[in-house]
Amino acid sequence: MTDLEREFERTIREEISRRRLLRRGAAGALSFSALAYLAACGSETGGGADTSPEAKAIPKGKVSDSLYFANWPLYIEEDRGTLKDFEKEYGTKVKYVEEINDNNEFFGKVRQQYAQGDSGGRDIHVVTDWMAGRMIRLGYVQKFDKSQLPNATQNLIPRLESPPFDKNRDFSMPWQSGFTGIVYRKDEVKREPKSVDDLFDPDYKGKVTMLTEMRDTVSVVAASMGFDPETASLDEFMQAVDKIGEAAESGQIRAFTGNEYTKDITKGDSVVIIGWSGDAVQLEADNPNIKFVAPESGVHLWTDNMQIPVGAPHAFTAEKMIDFVYRPEVQADITEYVNYICPVEGVQEILTMRDPSIGQNQLIFPDEQTLSNAFIMRQVKPDEERELDEAFQQVIGA
Amino acid sequence: MAARIRKAGLPYLLLLPGLGWLAIFFAIPLGYMLFESLKQGTVDTGFVFNWEFSNYANAISAFSKQFVRSFEYAGLATLFALVIGYPLAYVIAFRGGRWRNALLLAVIVPFFVTYLIRTLSWETILSDTGLVSDTLRSIGIMADDGRLLDTTVSVVAGITYNFLPFMILPLYASLERIDPRMLEAGYDLYGRRRDVFLHITLPLSMPGVVAGTLLTFIPAAGDFINAELLGGPNQTMIGNVIQSRYLELADYPTAAALSFILMALMLAVVVIWARIAGTEALLGTERRER
Repeated sequence: MTDLEREFERTIREEISRRRLLRRGAAGALSFSALAYLAACGSETGGGADTSPEAKAIPKGKVSDSLYFANWPLYIEEDRGTLKDFEKEYGTKVKYVEEINDNNEFFGKVRQQYAQGDSGGRDIHVVTDWMAGRMIRLGYVQKFDKSQLPNATQNLIPRLESPPFDKNRDFSMPWQSGFTGIVYRKDEVKREPKSVDDLFDPDYKGKVTMLTEMRDTVSVVAASMGFDPETASLDEFMQAVDKIGEAAESGQIRAFTGNEYTKDITKGDSVVIIGWSGDAVQLEADNPNIKFVAPESGVHLWTDNMQIPVGAPHAFTAEKMIDFVYRPEVQADITEYVNYICPVEGVQEILTMRDPSIGQNQLIFPDEQTLSNAFIMRQVKPDEERELDEAFQQVIGA
Repeated sequence: MAARIRKAGLPYLLLLPGLGWLAIFFAIPLGYMLFESLKQGTVDTGFVFNWEFSNYANAISAFSKQFVRSFEYAGLATLFALVIGYPLAYVIAFRGGRWRNALLLAVIVPFFVTYLIRTLSWETILSDTGLVSDTLRSIGIMADDGRLLDTTVSVVAGITYNFLPFMILPLYASLERIDPRMLEAGYDLYGRRRDVFLHITLPLSMPGVVAGTLLTFIPAAGDFINAELLGGPNQTMIGNVIQSRYLELADYPTAAALSFILMALMLAVVVIWARIAGTEALLGTERRER
């Protein structure tokens, strides 16, 4: 990558953070996704790999001289230092491609290949919890050989050790996590919005936005209605969708957004919203009036996970890579740059020495108390997922 | 003999590249989409071709609101574009003088900027705390808690703005073509300015009006960017639904069915409009008086 490209990346990072980029991308990429659509239309039968708990793990092999890593934009240090260090140590040149802009879109793109046991050359991809679960369900990913992941096994933070979709972390390892909670303008609200109910307060009519990501919005609202998103029934989630729908209909909710909410709240078009913690860290740095608050009823903890797809040509090396980023000194560089929740133990100490404000930031290194207030939305069954997605899309107007 | 065959075959030979293009990039995808729209299934279980005509019925009943809204917004935008565009094209064509080309360029220049960026800039202009909202509020046209962004007003305004040149250019082309001697003849026969306009200029510019309205209405009805960026949950158009079915829900059959329904509806609108405005105007030939 040239200096110019890097400079450009830095410039857009100021304005557009990762998720915003992907939302906007969806509008621009429609013509492109028509291709993905065509690719996605083929016949499909069951997946390639066996993803039952007894499945055979990735066999030991030799470290290869190349590796294909598919990730989201702006999700690693600008200078790719981590990848250079990996090359130094293992002699593997990493082809790092920022090709994932949206879970659904990525799925549409790779589905047909994965279904036929072909990873399209990819050795690692990074997708959000529920999509990671779908990949596992469909048999699109390979089982780790845990003996090759000593750092990952040891350093993964306990809260993420056993997510509902992959109880033993056999098929997925966190890359970064984040919270979904309330972001608000301190100078525009009556009082600190401690509860999601404040988003339904008529005083803020037309000044509320929520996320187009179904799980983020629905789980946070469901929690505020007294349901536990880790175990809630479909009916309970549907009640949350209905509540959101009424608020959308009445004009209480101004819009459903991807990351462009950062712009709305900066301008003051919105005042109390549902948003992501990683952005809040950046927004607050620019405008101290913008605050993130974890609602009393709980924040949604989501994670983007590394997985090794079926047919990955360098699966063994991919395991080495996954384990590599679980070394605290390696992860420290990544976390310092991306500002999301770090899934690796031991990084906090390193970063506290570099910059105490990062080490103490609850949105990057949440303590037990913060985490006890976090939930992971349960893995819904495919037919439930369809029903929820459908209902939610209707509510957001499409 | 051989020469004659070659001669007779030549036009067809010349047609080949065009026909090939149409076949590969239009006919085949269209057929494929039709095939897709009659499938049944889900991402998890796979899609099976099943002559599933109920996809169409379900799509219409589930999204009639967005269909109606799309045509309503596109119709309004076309009307506004005509009202704004006609005088503008008229002035450029008849009063432009040596500024004519510069003025035309000014109409086109905004198009040098990407569609997406142009629309995003309206997001800033129409913002709650932006200049337009502040002004409207201070002169009392808009209520204190009123807003422009994420309303029907902003979406229709955005569509009108984005497709205005498609209206102006054909209008200009047909107005500019009018022989000034026709107008002079009108005045010589003691026609008032209004009569000359209504009986000479307007009828002669009808091809431009028809072309402009179609060029504006058709893309506007299928547009989704304006509704996405300038609208809220109560402003979504059928384009947004198709996008969400494709990308978010991976519900390809419904997305394909919706596209076909939209196409059929647009065809119906074009046919009706052509009937009203006259096919001669549509084809660009001038009306001949017997």
